Amino acid sequence: MIGGVMLQFDFFAWLAGIPDWILGVLKWIYGIFSYVFHWIFNVFTWIWTTIFIPKNFMFLFRAVIFPGLIFVVMALIWAVWFTRKLWGRIQDRRGPLHMGKYGGLQLFADAIKLIGKETIIPDKAKRWMFRFLPGLLLVIVLLPFAFIPWDTVSAVDGGWAISDLNVSLVLAFAFLTAVPVIALLAGWVSGSKYTLIGGFRAANNQFAAEIPMIISTIGCAFLARSLSIFDISMAQSSLWFAILLPINLATFLVAAIASVGVFPFDAPVADSEIIFGWRTEYTGIYFTLTYFAEFAEQMLYSALIVALFLGGPNGLPFLPGPVNFIIKFLITFFFFVLVSSSFQRLRQDQIVYFCWKYLLPLAVLNVIVIMFAVVYLPGLMLPLLGVG
Amino acid sequence: MSPDILDGSMDIWFGPQHVSAHGWATKLTLVGDYIVECDPNAGYFHRSAEKVLEFKNFRQGPLVLERMCMLEAFLAEYPYVAAVEKIAELEIPERAKVMRTIMMEMSRIHSIQFWWGQFNAELGFFTMALWPWVDREYSLDVFEELTGSRHTVSFSTPGGVKYDFTEKVMTQLNRAIDRFEDRLVKFKDMQLGSPTFRARTENIGLYDVKQGLKWGLSGPPIKACGVPMDLRKDDPDPNLAYDMVDFDVPITENPEHPGQSDAFDRMEQRFAEAETAVSIIKQLIPQIPEGDIVDPKARGKANRLPEGEAYARVEGTRGITSVWLKTEEKGQTAYRAKIRGPCIASYYALKDLVPGSKFADFIVIFGSLDPYPGWWDR
Repeated sequence: MIGGVMLQFDFFAWLAGIPDWILGVLKWIYGIFSYVFHWIFNVFTWIWTTIFIPKNFMFLFRAVIFPGLIFVVMALIWAVWFTRKLWGRIQDRRGPLHMGKYGGLQLFADAIKLIGKETIIPDKAKRWMFRFLPGLLLVIVLLPFAFIPWDTVSAVDGGWAISDLNVSLVLAFAFLTAVPVIALLAGWVSGSKYTLIGGFRAANNQFAAEIPMIISTIGCAFLARSLSIFDISMAQSSLWFAILLPINLATFLVAAIASVGVFPFDAPVADSEIIFGWRTEYTGIYFTLTYFAEFAEQMLYSALIVALFLGGPNGLPFLPGPVNFIIKFLITFFFFVLVSSSFQRLRQDQIVYFCWKYLLPLAVLNVIVIMFAVVYLPGLMLPLLGVG
Repeated sequence: MSPDILDGSMDIWFGPQHVSAHGWATKLTLVGDYIVECDPNAGYFHRSAEKVLEFKNFRQGPLVLERMCMLEAFLAEYPYVAAVEKIAELEIPERAKVMRTIMMEMSRIHSIQFWWGQFNAELGFFTMALWPWVDREYSLDVFEELTGSRHTVSFSTPGGVKYDFTEKVMTQLNRAIDRFEDRLVKFKDMQLGSPTFRARTENIGLYDVKQGLKWGLSGPPIKACGVPMDLRKDDPDPNLAYDMVDFDVPITENPEHPGQSDAFDRMEQRFAEAETAVSIIKQLIPQIPEGDIVDPKARGKANRLPEGEAYARVEGTRGITSVWLKTEEKGQTAYRAKIRGPCIASYYALKDLVPGSKFADFIVIFGSLDPYPGWWDR
């Protein structure tokens, strides 16, 4: 390049520069990856350290393992076994027998079988909603378990009750109201006449049962002066509300059975009439999810009955709160199964008639009676409630 | 009905894939929750039994008949046997007559036990479905011990019966009857006293005698209206032993709607039928005479029948079951056999009976008439 500007392309200089160029590119890529990696690593570190602060770790343990998700799912598996065994005993049979001790592993065998089955989606079904709804149903049914007061001490103070809101009762019912809506939607998107009828029957059941059920809980909320399930169960430390509101306990139990839609209120899934109602077209894993959701809903209502009427975790003082709660929970669930195996199925108009003509006035009557008692017999009532 | 009501209608096929439709398909037209049209369709259970009978000899024929309705196998095979006996002019030993009657009544009990459980399952009460089915096992034990088969018994044969009552059969028979008689009282109380059962069945599927006779109903569906129409009394078969026992025709009269029957009455009628059957068996067991169980010459006589035709019928669990048989000279098989089961009438009665009722009540009406598809697809 003597005496002027070298405009010509210097091939050899270019050739000599290639390794530098490759190195630069590699450094650039490495920089991106290392940045992302460090970012992720830092996030993990942050989560890790946050979790393993003892308080946080215990909260997560409660939410995920006990008495949260894993425990509830294990209890669900137990509930299915228990229901089948009890049904068998009532019906002069032996129930599940061969898988595991006393047929205890039968549900796992059934679940594996069901999951292994072919998933058939009808041509007329709305495919994505059809796939999405069973999972959503199970999630919605499992969510209110977060508000169940398993212990007399809340998680914030180191107890076993997972979480609470000052309106958790309302929120739990809000979740539960969505269940028949999903049933109706599932019946609608399945694209079959039987599922459509079943979906509308599920909506009909909720229409019949929801108002008596919610009015049955008004008495508890009044007496505890709170809408929080935790506070309601804490207000029963001296006296269970079942003693003051016995009719409401009965109406809540019956309305809960009607709302779940098991026998004798199983018009939504009446197998002799509409095959399997809104669940007709579900097969394999989707059927398993809806099947589990039904049992989860029964368990949730049993837990709500214990929390609202049977003192929640209050009970034998020498036992820890969760143990007290679970004992009462098992007994309540036993009654659920017992009632559901003892009657002929009601027609859907008879369900509405029954719920509105008998359950609703009875529920209101009990609330009115107890309110009059609080107003006119304060000397008797207020010490019972631990007030004044 | 004005056409605009039918604009919003929905056709539903109840069967043949439906879980509670085992071998039948009924097309229902719904407006809202009400059925406005019901179209029963026979033919989904067709096994061409009448044609098969033209290729089977006269000792094989009962085997086809008992497969028409395996729940009442002893009763189902009898009309064919009786028709053959009429043409061949066979003499039946006294012992075989009594044994046939006992087993036919046992078959009636078994059929009612099964129907009873099935009806409760259709009503959504599986507990009450399984309790009668436990008793049914005891009835089936008798059949198995006697004939070696639980359902396809092939007991009656032209000229008598095939299997003799042994000591063990009698023990099991007594056990089944005693157990059922004991449980019947409790079950009747539980079933008819249940408020949910009353709610589901009272005034459901209501018809009167006139309608019932127009449709051609017989047996429990018409006896539930209070009509004592029973072949055991009206036309006693000389080859059966109903003249040896003292019984009344079981009828159900409901004072709330005299001359009519609803699903509840028909359930009550089945209880009365079972009670009568138990009492007949209990009266017959001490009266079983000694002797042959089959006419020794019957086998040869039934090989080739003379030309002739015969009509035989029996009061089955579900109504009058009849067979008309025509034979040619020295025929080894029937020239033509015509089976008339009771359920063709009760199935097609749904066409007039069901419209106007709710969709959920369809299976209650259907179940209370107790149609068995084998009897209408021949």
